[in-house]
Amino acid sequence: MEYLTSFGEVLFLIITVLIGVLFIEIYLYSHFKLYDKKFYFFIPLISIFIFYFILKAINLYSTKTMFFITLGEILFSYLCVYRIKGKNYLPYMLVIPSFIGLALLLVYPFVFEVYLSFHDLKLTTILPWKETGKIPFVGLKQYINVFVLPPLSETTFWQLLGRTFLWTFSNVFFHVLGGFILALILSEIKMFKGIYRTLLVIPWAMPQVVAVLSLRGEFHSQYGFVNIMIKKLISAFPFLEKLGVAPVNWLSDHPLLTCTLINIWLGIPFMMVVILGGLESISKSYYDAASIDGATYLQKLRYITLPLIKPVLLPAVTLGTIWTFNNINVIYLVTGQAGGTEKADILVSALYKAAFVYNRYSYSAAFAMVIFLILMIITFLYSKIIRVENT
Amino acid sequence: MKKSKIKSILLHLLLIIAVVITTYPLIRIFSVSIRPGDRIISTDLSIIPKGATFLSYIKLFKETYFIKWIFNSLIITLSTSLIGVILASSAAYSFSRYKFFGRKIGLYILLFTQMVPAGMLILPLYLMIMKLNLINTYLGMIIAYSVSSLPFSIWILKGYYDTIPRSLEEAAMVDGANEIYAFYKIILPLSTPALSIAFLFNFTMAWNEYLVARVILYNPKSYTWTLGLFELQGQFITQWGMFAAGSIIITIPVLLIFLYSSKWLVSGLTLGSVKG
Repeated sequence: MEYLTSFGEVLFLIITVLIGVLFIEIYLYSHFKLYDKKFYFFIPLISIFIFYFILKAINLYSTKTMFFITLGEILFSYLCVYRIKGKNYLPYMLVIPSFIGLALLLVYPFVFEVYLSFHDLKLTTILPWKETGKIPFVGLKQYINVFVLPPLSETTFWQLLGRTFLWTFSNVFFHVLGGFILALILSEIKMFKGIYRTLLVIPWAMPQVVAVLSLRGEFHSQYGFVNIMIKKLISAFPFLEKLGVAPVNWLSDHPLLTCTLINIWLGIPFMMVVILGGLESISKSYYDAASIDGATYLQKLRYITLPLIKPVLLPAVTLGTIWTFNNINVIYLVTGQAGGTEKADILVSALYKAAFVYNRYSYSAAFAMVIFLILMIITFLYSKIIRVENT
Repeated sequence: MKKSKIKSILLHLLLIIAVVITTYPLIRIFSVSIRPGDRIISTDLSIIPKGATFLSYIKLFKETYFIKWIFNSLIITLSTSLIGVILASSAAYSFSRYKFFGRKIGLYILLFTQMVPAGMLILPLYLMIMKLNLINTYLGMIIAYSVSSLPFSIWILKGYYDTIPRSLEEAAMVDGANEIYAFYKIILPLSTPALSIAFLFNFTMAWNEYLVARVILYNPKSYTWTLGLFELQGQFITQWGMFAAGSIIITIPVLLIFLYSSKWLVSGLTLGSVKG
């Protein structure tokens, strides 16, 4: 019975979406087709009324939104009558449903976040906001707070920033290094290549939540595989103990190292596949020519392989950097349990915790804008570097 | 000759070590899942433990809402991917076939949305969904997920449509079909591979999502499987066996689908860049 009602709910939802799309199409069609009729004047009016009723029905009505909708309607009618004139309207009818979706669920949240960052929405002001939609305006105060007040209980913004760079750099470095070595080995051998390749991409193919959570268990101080292995090694080779090798409280004492190890394990296969693709596209004749000239293996690697896989490697590294920088998943899954440590948090995971553990909504909106700016600068620098390398 | 043989053995050895590192966590999760109830927490390293049983699996189905979690995940994921693919297929067609005012700006907007970090938008989405009173509902989840992979799907499908020659539709139009009919009857059936890739991409994105679900769903009955497993894993000592069993049940189908489709997936992703 429970499942049936769920199905009903979803069926209802899908029908609603279809009706919504149909409504948008009818709306567009009536504007595009009837622009030169005498009664066209009524169509925008009727549309405004329908919008008004829809807004009232879903409880989002306010004079401001109504004003913008009227403005948009006037602009759209103007475009239909004086610009498009019934010509070539089909592409718009195909594109607009998607872009309405993107505008409502990607662009609007972004704008809303900018709006939030200049206001003061927190646990005490959220109920009034929900009822009246009003939040006190505070100007740039939240942005100053980001740098002055610690985003988490103790860790400051600058510590988080340093940790993020350390995290991003070490992860991307080991991803590329590990992926490169594995790809080189794979490109050398001929037997069982397909099997090795398949088994090596398992970390990438596994659902990330399962992979991270089970590895988190392996780092448990008493029952985790890592510490059991360390203990076994020590009992087999007693001299290791004198060198300072001992079981470690991974999760509570070295959470960032644990997260990094887990993420390296997760990220190597992707780089391996990308680099292997690059290696396989290099023509054998380059290496043969170099061998005739007496080049050593390292020389071939440095002067043939590296330059030739650069066009594959650079975009992959850029993407990898952005993904690692934005990786909340690994850190939150490892340290996000109630009472979890905050010693491993990087910028984005601190953002998530600031918003949903500490409920400082406006503060984290400003924090998000700062992080976005940092990411923009990194992307910009990367594209500069790639451009310089390419010329 | 001998030197190359040693080298090859050495390389195979290195690869085997790497394979052990990549597969061992999965094997160990499996061995935990079949441990008997009194020995779930132990420092035992054997793959098939003594007295192996499937008790953890039975307990998982009996004592938790595991089936409900899978059901919730399936419903949310299927609806979002369906909506995503329907919207993307038509928008991509328009970008691929027509020159219209705003086309370039539209494509730039698609690129820009890819640069906004997903973690940044969770807060405003959560507040919007809260304001619409959709917390803890399928609808809220589907709204939050539905467009997140839309730009990427549009790019993939546009790339694929670009490889289909225009003359096909022109021929259909000579025979009297209109543009919409030509799109549905000729282009869509031809692009099944690209459509399935877009669908699969949408599906995995929503299926493996955790962070949005964490803030929108709070009732254990309406959890998706990611939240459910996180809860089970949180209570390390008591429910480790059930967590392992759940992980295995989730992972095996996903791995099989991935391995089955991986070659095809990679070739499909590059299809768009090759003129056919």
